[in-house]
Formats: sequence, C-alpha cells, structure tokens
Amino acid sequence: MAVRANPDLIDELQGFGAKDVVKCYQCGNCSAACTHSDDPYVFPRKSMHYLQLGLEKSLRTSLDPWLCYYCGKCSDQCPRGAEPGETMMGVRRWLTAEYDFTGLARLLYRSWSAELAAVLTVALLTGAGFLSFGFLRGGGNLSVYDGPGAFLPIHAIHFFDWTMGIILGALLSINCLRMWHFTMRSEHTAPIPLSLYLRHLLLLPLHFFTQKRFRHCENKTPWATHLVLMLSYLTMLTLIMVFLRDMQSGPEVNWYAHSFGYLSAIGLVTTSILAVHGRLKKDAAYHRHSHESDWMFLGLLLFVSITGIVQHILHRFGFPMAANITYIVHLMGVVPMLVLEVPFSKWSHLAYRPLAIYFAQLQLAAQAEGKVPLGTPAKPQPVA
Amino acid sequence: MKPPVNQIREGTTKDESLGDVCPRIGVYFLHARAESSSNEYFKSMAEYASHLPDVIVVRTIEVSSAIDPAAMAIELRKKKLNTVVLAAEHPGFYKPAFSRALALAGGDGEQVRLASFGERGDGLTTDRARAVLASAVQGVPFTVDAATNCPAAASFNTATLVIGGGVAGIQAALEIAESDNKVYLVERTGTIGGRMAMFDKTFPTLDCAACILTPKMVAVSQNPNIELLVLSEVEEVAGSFGQFKVKVLKHATRVDASACVACGDCARFCPVSTASEFDMGIASRKCIFIPFPQAVPNAYMIDPTHCTWVLSDGKKCGACVKKCTKGAVHLDAQDERVELEVGNIIVATGYDVLDARRVERYGYGTYPNVLNSLEFERLTNASGPTGGKIVMKTERLNKKTKTEEWVFEPEGPKPRAVAIIHCVGSRDRNYNTYCSRVCCMYSLKFAHLVREKLPEAKCYEYYIDMRAFGKGYEEFHERVREEGVFLVRGRSASVTEREGQLYIHGEDTLGDHLVTLPVDMVLLSVGLQPSHGACELADKLGIPRDDDGWFRELNYNSDPNSTGREGIFVAGVCQGPKDIPDTVAQASAAAAQALRSIVGARTRQNSAGAPLHAIEENAGSPVRP
Repeated sequence: MAVRANPDLIDELQGFGAKDVVKCYQCGNCSAACTHSDDPYVFPRKSMHYLQLGLEKSLRTSLDPWLCYYCGKCSDQCPRGAEPGETMMGVRRWLTAEYDFTGLARLLYRSWSAELAAVLTVALLTGAGFLSFGFLRGGGNLSVYDGPGAFLPIHAIHFFDWTMGIILGALLSINCLRMWHFTMRSEHTAPIPLSLYLRHLLLLPLHFFTQKRFRHCENKTPWATHLVLMLSYLTMLTLIMVFLRDMQSGPEVNWYAHSFGYLSAIGLVTTSILAVHGRLKKDAAYHRHSHESDWMFLGLLLFVSITGIVQHILHRFGFPMAANITYIVHLMGVVPMLVLEVPFSKWSHLAYRPLAIYFAQLQLAAQAEGKVPLGTPAKPQPVA
Repeated sequence: MKPPVNQIREGTTKDESLGDVCPRIGVYFLHARAESSSNEYFKSMAEYASHLPDVIVVRTIEVSSAIDPAAMAIELRKKKLNTVVLAAEHPGFYKPAFSRALALAGGDGEQVRLASFGERGDGLTTDRARAVLASAVQGVPFTVDAATNCPAAASFNTATLVIGGGVAGIQAALEIAESDNKVYLVERTGTIGGRMAMFDKTFPTLDCAACILTPKMVAVSQNPNIELLVLSEVEEVAGSFGQFKVKVLKHATRVDASACVACGDCARFCPVSTASEFDMGIASRKCIFIPFPQAVPNAYMIDPTHCTWVLSDGKKCGACVKKCTKGAVHLDAQDERVELEVGNIIVATGYDVLDARRVERYGYGTYPNVLNSLEFERLTNASGPTGGKIVMKTERLNKKTKTEEWVFEPEGPKPRAVAIIHCVGSRDRNYNTYCSRVCCMYSLKFAHLVREKLPEAKCYEYYIDMRAFGKGYEEFHERVREEGVFLVRGRSASVTEREGQLYIHGEDTLGDHLVTLPVDMVLLSVGLQPSHGACELADKLGIPRDDDGWFRELNYNSDPNSTGREGIFVAGVCQGPKDIPDTVAQASAAAAQALRSIVGARTRQNSAGAPLHAIEENAGSPVRP
C-alpha cells in the first residue's frame, strides 16, 4: 500500500531544530560514516529521506533516531552541510512530542515562551506551596533547618519526592507504551513473542547504566561526559529519594552519605559547565546547534546544582534560615526540571534510548530466529 | 489637438527649411519603463549627445506603447529636424515609426540612424557606447577604431601570446598561427600536450587521445609562426590591449634542442633516477630525460633539482656531456629572461587534480593500491609503465636505497575487483563545492577499460548522481552498464585495509543497505582545481577569478572567452571544468576573438578608420549622404 506523505513534515521539524535537511542530496556518506549505523538500522540518511518526502509514519515507527548519539562525525563529513546529526536530534525531539500523549511536549518544544512560562509557573507554584506548607504544617519557623520543628520536615519532603516520582514515572511509562506501540506494533513489525521480551530484558538496565553503545562512537569524550553526568545525577537522586535523612541532618558532615553527594555534585557541575562552554564555543559538531530546550535543560541543571551546594554549605556553617530559603529556591528549580523535563522533554530519553536499543535487539533476535521476517507486513495488506 | 495626417503632408511637401543642406539631428533615447534603473546612464549619454555637432534635439522617450508617427512628425517639424538618431539597446524595432514620422514631416524617411548599444557589444561601457552614438550621429559606420580604448592601428601588435601548452593552448595557437599571425606559446613544463597527452582514451568515443593530440603537437613544432617557449613562465605583464609587454622567465633545458636528436644515449648513462612527472610518479625517469617519446620539442632536458653535476657545481658526474655525440648538452646553460611584445593574450593554464591525501578516509597515499584518476590514466596507457596492463602495485626491494617500495610491474598481479569512487573532493563543501564535470564520464571510461582489459574482474562505481549530459554520453553510460559494471548509488565513506585486502564501506542508498566490499584496487575520481600558480598569474595579468579560483569570464552567457581586461582571453579548463570537446571549441573561439582585433588592425593599417575624437569633431567622416 502506498504510503501517504505529509508535505508539511519538513516544515514542522524545523521547529524542532532540524533546519538543514533540504540541503541533503542523499549521498549516504553519513550512514556509512556512522559507527552505529548497521543493517537494518541504517541512518541518518534514511531519516533525512523520510523528512524530505514527508513520510511521517515511517519516521514515527523508526527506532533509528534513538540509536544515534550525535557524535557529529556525519555532520563533519557531510558534503552539503545538511547537518544529519542535528537532524537526528531534531527528529528525537519530534518523536518525544509524538510519544507524549498530553501534547505538552510539542508545546514546550515548539514555543520558547511557553517553555519559559511553564518553568516559571511550576517554580512559583512550588515556592508558594512549600512556603505555605512550611508555615501551616511544618514548624513555621524559618530558622529551623532539620530535626523537630524543621520548616521543611524530612518526612514531608520524602512524601513529596515519592509522590512526584510515582506520578512522573506513570506519565513517562504511558509515553513509553506509546513508543512501543508506534515502533513495535506498526504494520511493518510483526508481534514479537513474550519469551523474547523476557529473554532480552536485561538489556534495559545494562544500557541504561553503562551506555556502552555510546562508547562505540569514534569520539569518546561525549560518552565519558554523558556517563559522568548520568551517574552523578543517579547518585544524587538515590541519595535524595532513599537517604534524605542522612543527607539533610547536620550540621556535621555525614561522610558515608555526603562523600557520594560531593562526588556527584562535582560531576554535575563540571559536566554541565563543560556542556555550556562547548555550546557557547561551538567547536564540535554536536555543540554547533543549540535548541532552546537544550539551554533550558542546562540552565536548570546548573541552577539546581549550585543552589543545592549553597544550601548544603549554609546549613553546615550554621545559617539555618538562609539554608531554608536556599532550599526552597533549590526546590523551585528541581521541581520544574523534573516535572517538565522527565516526561515531556529532553530527559525522557533516559527511557527512550535504552528502550530503543532493547526493541531493536528484539527485532533482530526475532529475525535471526526466523520467526518474524523483518520489514514484512504483519498482516496481508488489502489491495486497493 | 492632433492635426489630421493629410494636412501635415500637404503642408510640408516642399519646405525649404527641411532642405538637405545642413543636417539637423534629433537624438532620441528609447527606454522601456522597466529600465528606469539605467536612467542615470541615459542622462549622461544624453548630455554627451547634446554636444555632438548638428544635434538640435536630445530627448528620452519612454516607449511603453507604440509610437504615434503623426505626433512625432509634428515635433520633428517644429524643431525642423531632418535626421533622427534612435539610441537604445535594440532600437531597430522603432525605426519604421520614425521613418514614417520623418516622411510625414516632409523629410527623407531614410534618414533614421540607429545607435544600437545592444548589438555593438557592451552597452554600458561608456567609451564604446559613445563611439556607437557618435558614429550614428555622424552617419559613419561604427568600427572598432571608433572606440577610444582601441590603440591606433599603427601601434597594434599582431602577435599573440598563448599561456599554457595543453590542448587548449595548442588549438588556439594553431588557429592563430595558421591564419599567418605570430604566436608565442609559453609552457611551464618541458613539453606541450598538457593533461590530454597523459590520457589513454577519450570519452565517449574511446578514441586514442595521443592519436588526436600528437598531430596537433607536431603541427605546432612545424609552424614557423609559432615560437615555442618550454620550461618558461610569465613573470610580468605590462602595457595594454594591442601593446602588451610580457616578461618571460625561460628556464634552461641545458640541452640544445636544435642539436639533440633524442637518441637517448645520455639518459642510458645518467646515474640519477627520480619519479616521472608525466607518469604521475608511478614510473621513474632519469635526470636527463624526455617527458615522453612524442614530446614537443622532441629533445632531452636536464632536471636541475636532481642532477649531480648541477648540485655539485660541476665537480661531479657530467656523464651525459661525455656521451652526447652531438655535443648538445650544455650543463652550464643559464636561465634567461625574454621580453615579448604582443597584442593579445590567451590564457589556457588548465588544471591540477585535487590532492586526494586531503580526503583522508580514502587512504590515498597510505594504501598502495588506492590510485587517483591521472595515475590510472598512466597505468592503463599503452605508453605507461606497464604497457597498458592494469595490475596492482607490488612490493619490491630498491637495490640502491635498500628499502621496500611499491611499484607497478608489467607482470604484477591483476586486480579481481576494482572500485571507482566518484566526486572525490567535488560537490563537497569541505573541499570544492562545484561539480568537476568530467569525473562521471572518465570514471565510466575507466570502468570500461577495466572490463575490457580484465574481463574476469568486477568493477563497481560508487556515484552520487550520474552526470552524462553531453553528446553521446548517455549512450556511453548505457553501454558501460551493459558491459557488466555495477553501479552503486551512494558515496562511499571510507576505504580501509585489513590483511592486505582493501575494503570499501558505503551505503547503497537505493537499497538502504550498508555495504562493505572487498576490492583489490580503488580509483579515486578526483575533481579538478585551478592549476597551481593560477592565482599569481591572474594577479600578473590583472584578470579576475571567481570564488572557486577559475578565471572569470566577462559574461557567462554571451562572452565566455573574454576576461575583465581587454585583449586577454581564456580558453579551456582554466575558465571552469570542461571536457576535451568543449575545451577545443573554447580555444578556437578565443582564437577567433583575438583574430578579430588582429584582422581589424591589419585592415586599418591599409585603410584607416576614424577614431572617436575625429567623429566627434565632425571631421574625417568619409560617408556623407
């Protein structure tokens, strides 16, 4: 059956940062230069082709964009300056918007003012919420940081953390389900038996924690930076979600918990400053183009890291009131960052990327076992 | 109120005031409404016209609609005009209307003269346009002499300098010399023939390149009108159109060409070997050498950068001097500077191929069996190092230097698979953005030669777009496809070598597959770029180059041979990539343009035309009604 083309797709993707696709003359140098591109996942040229022709459905059902880590080799070698790497980045943003059932992701990506407004709104709501909570339900005393009568008691923060975590997890899971539906249940991929899903399940944590595919890029620096950032963040998240009591009590330093905190704080600040520096200097292909969402992400990350550090220092050096105020400011950064970035924006790739690798592996395994020939329609198509 | 036509006619049939005694001229500039941008230009021209003798009226008319002869007749009558000059890009269209108006006004309808800027060349070159206008006002035919920037006939030098002795330079030189005019042909290397002399076959006819070129080269050597200066470079260009003074540095060949009979005794005893430039370094030559057996001039020469005698200031060696029975070798000969006086210059400096080392991922210079196109031309050429056999390079011990080196040997192993990569360094913003125009076709020719000489070998072409646009090209493309050449649409990304086997990695974009192909030999279809030294030459000549470095033609569509400087023409690839037929055609065209001024000067030397100042002063105008 002929594929229905959407001529406006290429214009739509411009809003997501894929601006130079029109220059592509389909020579295929990018696909051949890429260390990740391999049969049957040959990219980025094929995605560029989908875009040029407006093959929206093919693009939506494709796993290719998530298999790219944007090392920039394709863009460097591109004879036309069509920026295949940035195009893949743009397609990933578009896919994030496609997977998101709320439509919020599309709004945030397409409109800088909407994103800014959303961040500010959530930040102000957070600030107002925690202040009123502190005055009404907490100790009401801004000069008590921890222990009994604390302005923001640990158990309340814990409760808030976990509630938010569960809600965001649920939202992201729904989006992941949609991703699965688009990519694994399309007419070009036959259903894959459950046994295969189970057999390869370990791939998900493996790729999530090690990002070992990223290491196959010729340039190892982005992989190292990304891994440090990811592990630092994960450590910090674990500390806050599980060991908040040890983290927040003081003012003396709990070395067994805080040493991890210091390490991850150093990791977070260093990597995000490196990223900002790279994006300002634009010396590498993967830093040449910055979408508004990239700046927002980095800005929030730096803001959260620095306010967290300041809050920690103030508390340790005995300024509980200043520490409490910084804490609220810190939360005004953390909450919008998590609420907006995890299910609706850049951070959703923490789920989509391992999933894509997992799905691709499943498709290959199914093909290898001869159960499902790849690329053949699951159902016979009616002849029009 | 317009008076009826018949009234005017009746009233003006015999009017003394419109008599033929004294011309009363009206100059009308006609322009369309859209041309308002050139108003300034019209204004300055109108000012000029008003000062010409006998001009009574100068007017600019916007010719948006048809001109009404009756209304015009009234104006002519009022001003008592008996002659009308129509000045425009193409004024001929309006001539009937003005003829009728003149007749209606009682004048001679024939007295409408045209100052046609469009047909006389560059309409916006003021001097030339003035000459066109003045000639029309005075009723004399427009000649080149009328333009003030043309030197007086007596001082016009009819000799021509051709820079570059490739097929373009040879063609241009022959065209001019065979019409009995002096030509200086300056060539940087030791022989004329250029790149074409290196080729085995031409596309798409698969003619033997040497069979076409060598007779022309011989014709150059035998033409008494051509003075050939090899190993020579233009150092300085002074003067202007018609009177160029060119200083040429003539490097010493150190062998007297008139005495040398090219017996080769000297080379047999010369102890120094080095890479042959003519064979693109895939074969060696001696230090006293002839670039190739059919070279013109057919004489040996010394390579002073490697010659033991030269390097030791005459203390060592000198074997060639002793062996030459004709006494033709003069190792102490010095470079000399000659000054040429010419009227026209034709630039035909050709091209270099892109240095494929720049495209690192193809491994040129690292892997011995990755060749560029000119190297393959020499390899497959019957006069090349293997006698035209397509073989792979093999490792051999050099007895002198005691090192292993990769060389072509006639009995070397034959490649079983050959890949040809198109667009190496072309159509790529990292190298040259333009299309080099010839690579698709020469690549197809290579594929044909591989399949013809090695029917067992597979041949793959990695192309992006196949540009077979010329006469017979598409048919050649089809033919090569039918000969069993496999075409892969996709630019390959890399060539690697593992255990002595080359692998070419690329995407087959028609099948969405990544393909890694083991091949024995990779040919890189490298693009063309301006010959080294073209930039300096452009500065010396004072001619502009375009963004890609090629010499810029005056007008892409209507004047592709002229440059920004009068009397200097371009021919061949130095103006932009082109194939042999186009090169030869352009060379002939450039020669024709040079001949135009040469013939003009010769004619004027016999019957002098009037220069512009004479026309302006209403003197010396021979044609008077």
